[in-house]
Amino acid sequence: MAASTTVAPTTTPPQGPSSRPRRRGWAFHAVMVPFTLLWIAPMAFVLTIAFRSFDDIARRGLGALPTSFSLDGFTTALQDGAIGRALANSALVTLVGVVVTLFLASLAAFALSRYRIPFRRTILLGMLAGNLLPPQILLIPVAKITESLGIYDSLFALIVVQVGFGLGFYTFVLYGFMRGIPNEVLEAARVDGAGPTRIYARIIMPLCRPALAALAALATTWIFNDLIWAVTVLRTEDKFPITAALLNLQGGFVSNWNVVASGAVLAALPTAIVFFAFQKHFVSGLLVGANK
Amino acid sequence: MSSTATVSGQATTGPPHRRRPAAAVRRVPRIVWLFLLIPLAVELAWVFWPAINSFSLSFTRWSGVGAAENVGLDNYRNLLDDPIFRTAAKNTVIWTIGFGGLSVLIGLALAVALNRPRRGVGIYRSAIYLPMVFSLVVTGLFWRVLYQPDGAVNSTLEAIGLDGVSRQWLADPDTALYAVLVAAVWRQVGYIMVLYLAGLKGVDPSLEEAAAVDGATAWQRFRHVVFPQLRGVNTVVFAVTVIDSLRTFDIVWAMTRGGPYDSSQLLSTYMFQQGFTLVNLGYGSAIAVVIFLLAIGFIITYLVRATRED
Amino acid sequence: MSTSRISRRGFLAGSAALGVTGVLSGCVGGGSSDDDGGTADTSSTEAPSDASGPVVLQSSLSDPDPKAALESVLNGYTEGDVTLNTVAIENYRAQLPTYLSSSEPPDVLTWYAGSVARDYASKGLLLDLSELWEGDGACAGFSDALRSLSSADDGTQIFVPTNYYWWGIFYRKSAFDEWGVEPAETWDDFLALCEDLQQQGVTPLSMGTGSTPWVASGWFDYLNMRVNGPEFHRALLAGEHSFDSAEVRAVLDEYAKIVPFIDPNGRSYSWQDAVTPLVQKEAAMYLIGAFITQTVPEEDVDDIDFFRVPIIDASLPVGEEAPTDGYFAAANSTRPEGAKALLSYLAQPDSQQQFIEESGSSNLPTSPDVDTSGFSPLVQKGIQHLEETDEITQFFNRDSSDELQTTADTALTRFLDNPDDVEQILADWQSAAERVFEG
Repeated sequence: MAASTTVAPTTTPPQGPSSRPRRRGWAFHAVMVPFTLLWIAPMAFVLTIAFRSFDDIARRGLGALPTSFSLDGFTTALQDGAIGRALANSALVTLVGVVVTLFLASLAAFALSRYRIPFRRTILLGMLAGNLLPPQILLIPVAKITESLGIYDSLFALIVVQVGFGLGFYTFVLYGFMRGIPNEVLEAARVDGAGPTRIYARIIMPLCRPALAALAALATTWIFNDLIWAVTVLRTEDKFPITAALLNLQGGFVSNWNVVASGAVLAALPTAIVFFAFQKHFVSGLLVGANK
Repeated sequence: MSSTATVSGQATTGPPHRRRPAAAVRRVPRIVWLFLLIPLAVELAWVFWPAINSFSLSFTRWSGVGAAENVGLDNYRNLLDDPIFRTAAKNTVIWTIGFGGLSVLIGLALAVALNRPRRGVGIYRSAIYLPMVFSLVVTGLFWRVLYQPDGAVNSTLEAIGLDGVSRQWLADPDTALYAVLVAAVWRQVGYIMVLYLAGLKGVDPSLEEAAAVDGATAWQRFRHVVFPQLRGVNTVVFAVTVIDSLRTFDIVWAMTRGGPYDSSQLLSTYMFQQGFTLVNLGYGSAIAVVIFLLAIGFIITYLVRATRED
Repeated sequence: MSTSRISRRGFLAGSAALGVTGVLSGCVGGGSSDDDGGTADTSSTEAPSDASGPVVLQSSLSDPDPKAALESVLNGYTEGDVTLNTVAIENYRAQLPTYLSSSEPPDVLTWYAGSVARDYASKGLLLDLSELWEGDGACAGFSDALRSLSSADDGTQIFVPTNYYWWGIFYRKSAFDEWGVEPAETWDDFLALCEDLQQQGVTPLSMGTGSTPWVASGWFDYLNMRVNGPEFHRALLAGEHSFDSAEVRAVLDEYAKIVPFIDPNGRSYSWQDAVTPLVQKEAAMYLIGAFITQTVPEEDVDDIDFFRVPIIDASLPVGEEAPTDGYFAAANSTRPEGAKALLSYLAQPDSQQQFIEESGSSNLPTSPDVDTSGFSPLVQKGIQHLEETDEITQFFNRDSSDELQTTADTALTRFLDNPDDVEQILADWQSAAERVFEG
């Protein structure tokens, strides 16, 4: 975020009636500082609980100021709560899910945007509409279908479901992006005798890199944070992604708030890291969506 | 940043695809059909086929074992008499309006306030966006801790002398739904803010300047100059908000499971309870169909707008 | 995690998904028309079942001590591999029917004896375990009461009980001494005791009905047995009486008398959370099962005692709750022999004793061959407590069904908030219950 702000100033002219910038600035911060503090207070509170000892919480209550420092919550969450394994599961599902979805979506978007497929507009909107369906309507049949295919309770099932369910939206966004690529570029390649596969791999995909990066960032948070599909197609503790594992942790360590808080913090770390590493892409990614 | 440029360029100069027709390929190579059909088949198999199944299941009674028994419209008729369903439907409407309205209002206000570069703006933005990186489950757990009888919310209220206001937020049927709503909005606001910040970048500053010279107040400038230029973003925000609010499941499930006594039940949690806890698969499917019908209304609006703008 | 398994099946499913037809043929819900073999129907597309793979034990024992105890008991099992799969109890409760009705279910599952198991058996979801109850089977020596408790409506056995416990009003002896009070024998004495404690600034009753609303059914069960008798109670839970009846109203009238004495914070607590005020001597008493000791700090366990829920109508037989825990196996199990072997092991006296000791609960073994003389005085008192009683019940859900329990949770938590709204609450409860019994 900070990076993009520093770019903007040069283009934005000073505001109209800025006769008393000092005082207005002061008022601005007087409002924003407490507001921001209020906003991060819940996170700070949970963080302090994660580092308190169980005895301290049990004796003095959750609301008390911390008097202890302990990593017990984290060790318990990692060992007994198996948060580490759950994070690995989530990472696997997210990685494979994002790559496969984007690959398939880019194929479909390529076909729809660069070739005269009959009813391509209807197909595109149909695919998007599928993605906009509330997932609840799919839960029961998907659970039964994965069962009858013998993939129920496997990470593979979770990946397949995530791929199927995400396709429409990504195709729609990539379609918009690919249509913006000037035709001349492709014509030149075609004259050189390049087939569709070559055009897709050598020309379209490199040009789509920014859109793909943006969608990848978006898809990562969606898949990583999913709970409803995880509880629908999985039942084995070993295979739970982080969201389901956290609920399990909470159920198993009832009233051990330091463990629960530690688990929540651990679960938030990867997404926080991804976010700060790719925040530029996030913003531009949202813009790709905003364009449509 | 490169895509930002593309976007604002398109927004102002109009769609760039006008020069296509003549150059378009007449015959579609076979491999291209494959490109399209593979993803399409996956989506058909995992989205459309289950959705159709859900519709047909909603006319049956089925406990997951043996064959489903056809009961016609019974499930829908029972829904009408089901007080929990009515609560859940009412709550879903409250949720959609409250969640959507609050997060859009606060998010837009923050975007406008933080749009102009000043000292500290980057920190404010990051702080407000940060909750977005947490999953709804994590958010739910965070806020469960906060809402405990001796948790931070009550401690804070007591510290500032508002003892009378403190209560058991998640255990009180009057507040449970709203307590969850606050947590969900807390997470969503940053997302909406970033969307609007992105949209505001595309707003032409000279227009606003001109209006300011003409003596328009800040509110008038926003209402008549800035806001109309945010149309594209508004559509996205609208779609994201409606879909997110109808999908809401995780955070309620993690915080209250629809309780106490169904007071925070949403259609999605009630559907999950019926379908998976009680294994009334037919009845659960009927609820899912109702959610679908609610969503479809919004989706049609969205698609119509998206198409018109093209 | 067996990755090889995933990829093999993955390939299979992937090709099916791409071909679409593979999926289309296995229409969900058996297409609602064809043969009644919904399960047989799917087996054609199912991957070859790994009958040789490890037996899957799905466990709801998610509290740290019982979980560790079960793990250690399983470590001693030598006749095959077992995959223990622990899911937090409230999630487990929500998904158990889905587990059982799945076409490839876990083999062995933890749960409860009584009507709740019978209910699943009547739906054809449980494996017939009669052979364990015959000849030299692991359960053959168990009492007749346990045998009938573990039997389905058709007379076959479908459950393996491994431990049970009693319910009572638990308190801290030292706290009662400090406050100068005594356990109550009669209902009037009990109400007076609560009044006295409240005067002293102590919360008389703790009860965690937040994330574990079923706890509220404990008082309901007892008051119903004390006011209407155990026979009426059983019949009510079997759907033979109305929740809207004068009898049930009389129960809630008594219940309403103790509502003012219950810790209001309990509405946000789980049953485990609600133990803390008791331990800290902020609350005086807690009607709960003997499993309470597993959440009491070790140094305070000896200070815990209990007394019987006071008698209201002395002319009625005395009923006590003695819920029985154990295991059943899924009818669809692909490894029925492995499941039975594991169940036999878990039912052995040694396994029972090891589990009870390591889990830190005060549960009692079901096997007559476990030597209980070394158990703590509290447990001895519990054994005696159950021996002296006239009739035994299980618990609300165990005497009815998990589905009926959800109606009780709604009604009773609502009642705790608005004890004056009894008429409406009971009317709604009855109509919800009717839906369960019809379904």
